[in-house]
Amino acid sequence: MAAAKLQAPSRASTSSASSFTPVSRQNTMSSHDGSRSMRASKRYSVTALYLSMSAKEKDLEIEDDLARAQKALRELKARISSQSKKNFVLEKDVRYLDSRIALLIQNRMALEEQNEVASHLDEAAELQEGFFPNDEKTQKYGNLLFLLQSEPRHIAHLCRLVTLAEIDSLLQTVMFTIYGNQYESREEHLLLTMFQSVLTYQFDNTPDYSSLLRANTPVSRMMTTYTRRGPGQSYLKQVLAERINSLIELKDLDLEINPLKVYEKMVSEIEESQGSLPPNMPKGVTAEQAAENEKVQAIIAPRLTMLMEIANSFLSTIIAGLDETPYGIRWICKQIRSLSKRKYPDASDHTVCTLIGGFFFLRFINPAIVTPRSYMLIDGTPADNPKRTLTYIAKMLQNLANKPSYAKEPYMVKLQPFIQQNKERINRFMLDLCEVQDFYESLEMDNYVALSKKDLELSITLNEVYATHELLERHAAELAKDESSHLSVLLHELGSAPAQLPRKENRVINLPLFSKWETPLDDLTAALDITQEEVYFMEAKSTFVVIMRSLPANTPLTRRPLRLDRIAEAAATTRNDSVMVKKGIRSIELLSQLQELGVIDKSDGFALLRDEIEQELVHLGSMKDKVVEESRKLDEVYRTIRDHNSYLINQLETYKSYLHNVRGQSEGKTRKQQKHQVLGPYKFTHQQLEKEGVIQKSNVPENRRANIYFNFTSPLPGTFVISLHYKGRSGRNRGLLELDLKLDDLLEMQKDNQEELDLEYVLFNVSKVLVLLNKRFTRKKGW
Amino acid sequence: MSQREYHIVVLGSVGGVGKSCLTAQFVQNVWIESYDPTIEDSYRKLMEVDGRQVVLEILDTAGTEQFTAMRELYMKSGQGFLLVFSITSMSSLHELAELRDQIIRIKDDPRVPLVLVGNKSDLEEDRAVSRARAFAVSQGWGSPYYETSARRRANVDEVFKDLCRQIIRRDVELSRATDSDPREGRRRRDTQDRNRRRRSNRSREHRCVIL
Repeated sequence: MAAAKLQAPSRASTSSASSFTPVSRQNTMSSHDGSRSMRASKRYSVTALYLSMSAKEKDLEIEDDLARAQKALRELKARISSQSKKNFVLEKDVRYLDSRIALLIQNRMALEEQNEVASHLDEAAELQEGFFPNDEKTQKYGNLLFLLQSEPRHIAHLCRLVTLAEIDSLLQTVMFTIYGNQYESREEHLLLTMFQSVLTYQFDNTPDYSSLLRANTPVSRMMTTYTRRGPGQSYLKQVLAERINSLIELKDLDLEINPLKVYEKMVSEIEESQGSLPPNMPKGVTAEQAAENEKVQAIIAPRLTMLMEIANSFLSTIIAGLDETPYGIRWICKQIRSLSKRKYPDASDHTVCTLIGGFFFLRFINPAIVTPRSYMLIDGTPADNPKRTLTYIAKMLQNLANKPSYAKEPYMVKLQPFIQQNKERINRFMLDLCEVQDFYESLEMDNYVALSKKDLELSITLNEVYATHELLERHAAELAKDESSHLSVLLHELGSAPAQLPRKENRVINLPLFSKWETPLDDLTAALDITQEEVYFMEAKSTFVVIMRSLPANTPLTRRPLRLDRIAEAAATTRNDSVMVKKGIRSIELLSQLQELGVIDKSDGFALLRDEIEQELVHLGSMKDKVVEESRKLDEVYRTIRDHNSYLINQLETYKSYLHNVRGQSEGKTRKQQKHQVLGPYKFTHQQLEKEGVIQKSNVPENRRANIYFNFTSPLPGTFVISLHYKGRSGRNRGLLELDLKLDDLLEMQKDNQEELDLEYVLFNVSKVLVLLNKRFTRKKGW
Repeated sequence: MSQREYHIVVLGSVGGVGKSCLTAQFVQNVWIESYDPTIEDSYRKLMEVDGRQVVLEILDTAGTEQFTAMRELYMKSGQGFLLVFSITSMSSLHELAELRDQIIRIKDDPRVPLVLVGNKSDLEEDRAVSRARAFAVSQGWGSPYYETSARRRANVDEVFKDLCRQIIRRDVELSRATDSDPREGRRRRDTQDRNRRRRSNRSREHRCVIL
């Protein structure tokens, strides 16, 4: 596969007559280099084809820095893809339990429901690997999944038919399994094709402009999930995280500009400090009265300036990040542009931009600005002031993207200068977003490659397979109208869908995918419309590139201009490297064949071929830096989603313990109470707890901290005593302070976003305390 | 005595059903034509309900599902809720059930003041939700159902007025219940008890400790 990545096929889309300049693609696997000549386009794609076809076998062959860097990158990408899926599943579990635990805390859950929740929890463990009960099924489902993956229109159609209630399982299967390799071009392109088909349908079937792209449909949910996969997540982190983080540090920066709120705050401050209000400052004024108040105006004026500055800085970062914007997201913008032009041929750029903003800002950027924590951009919940500021920023950006004719909230009119100054800029930006190439040509090729691959596999759970089958079956009347269609045939062969397995029996399987209807690879050249000489030319080029990469640098052989015949000769006579010898011999053959065909000429040093090889090698030189840089960014993403994963797991663990504990208590009433052992005390120093973030804030003077320690004890399951001790204080067992904690109280605080636990001299962080208790006091059943 | 202030939250789980249009008509008597998705807008309006002056704090929220993380907070702060769907879209009605469940869970009150609103009644020719269907849903919830047209300003004030009456009534009921009927107010007090317990559990042997 390493070799597949080195050629950057310039896809200056020959099929779709696009008038705009090619733009490079980022964040997807094969970074297309738009600066390359258009002439070579078809040839390059064939190179990539040949290289990727035999990629697997060649994997170990080239062992230079680039190959190693690429291998590392590839592994990282695979880890991100699989971790994303795990998190998606865990998030669902945690969401489910969030609401249930709230009820439990309020003592409002019936016993049988408790049992249900408990069984849900027990099942939330990692799935075991397994395989299909029988070979015939394996083969048939392999055929079905291959069809679904390679022909996205079936899924697209299904998406239009399912209800929102049915979407959850489909979403998981589609986004994280069928097209789960987030960095694999073929799967990404197929997924985008599916979006396109559904978007087209939506545009054709939405009566009025104002409802376009507004509805929450299975597709909008899918697109959301799509924007939150690896590439979208790295983009948000890279472009927004720093700005947001520096903003939320300014906890006291109040930028409220709603005159009513400002007035009320002012009045209550005066009342508090003076005990009463001056007669000219009544409570309960109208918005207009508040806005007319001079003091209010004086407070608001500098805030307006500041908000506009901050919003401007966000906008500048977003615009500067154009090249970092994930290809797929830009491509969706492009589809929105062309679909709205098609539906409304007379639409102005403004109108088109409004719709692009309805996707890019409304569904991608702004949710992350308003709730950065759910997008893993910050660690804690922001304080009220920064939270409000972030909401303002998002509102301003959305206003800018949509430029409504009328400001809904009158006071927002004061921010008009921001809109005026930036409207040209943002329109330009949104149109620039759309400037990406299509991928149809490479997709076609990738699909052929997929047909030829013998080892296409899908890691999928049995229940995912059955649920997908069940959905297809339920909607078969619509999906498989034509009885002779491939889908109909496969569904017919499979019969009716098996029921879902209990979670305990569910297994992850590796399903080999292959087409029931083989397209022989011989047809490939015909299908790709290329000549034999082009095939030779490409093979010669890739073979020489591989040889060059294996040669030590700075020898006479690597000097430019390259002497291709000598290089081939040298390779063919390499000692102790049969692969290299084979390559050499093959390249000698190719040189002579190409000469016979009159494509290249020895007299000019095979200039045509030589120049392209040299160009390729130059490109490879900068390639390694790019790969290393990409790895660095993705490393960060991977770390973030892993942190999120441990957070989710910890949350599940806490719920689990809590539930066992509650059930243990209710069982205790009927059965003889088991004797519980007291756990602890466990001793922690001030320094330790500070380091782990358990102590959020300490009022203990620096020089005394070394003498402070804490004891954590659990006298009963679900009950904890934290005591604070001072070294050498008359050797007493009891602490200076003691705090009794109940697990349900901690959970309730967490639910209410109360993050601070006050222990007089120190403030504990509730979530971190839970983590600590989790680690220390896990009892077999409950705490 | 100062006027009573009530917090109303306008919710809907789909964008484009007309939450903002409805709110803007009510508060400012304007019809918004442009494509302008909401993130979060707040308004205040004075209104007379049954001879009483009340101040309504109205929070108009995002229908776009990507903003759902903010909903819980809105629900905590609101006293009454308008659940808005469009009569031209069945799914916009279906989605509201989940919202209502969430409100009840968060407010811990199955009788929380709430009005079901079917907007866009001027688009009769595109109707996808029958009056009877929506009414049945509202009956199941024990809440009133109104059909409105923000465009024509039909039934707009009525919706807010009804919600306001409910809030006032619930307010009175709850304060009476906590005084006399122990069952009604129990849950509320439970929480308070627990909060108190949490505070009082801290045993302070040494009132004055110098570290």
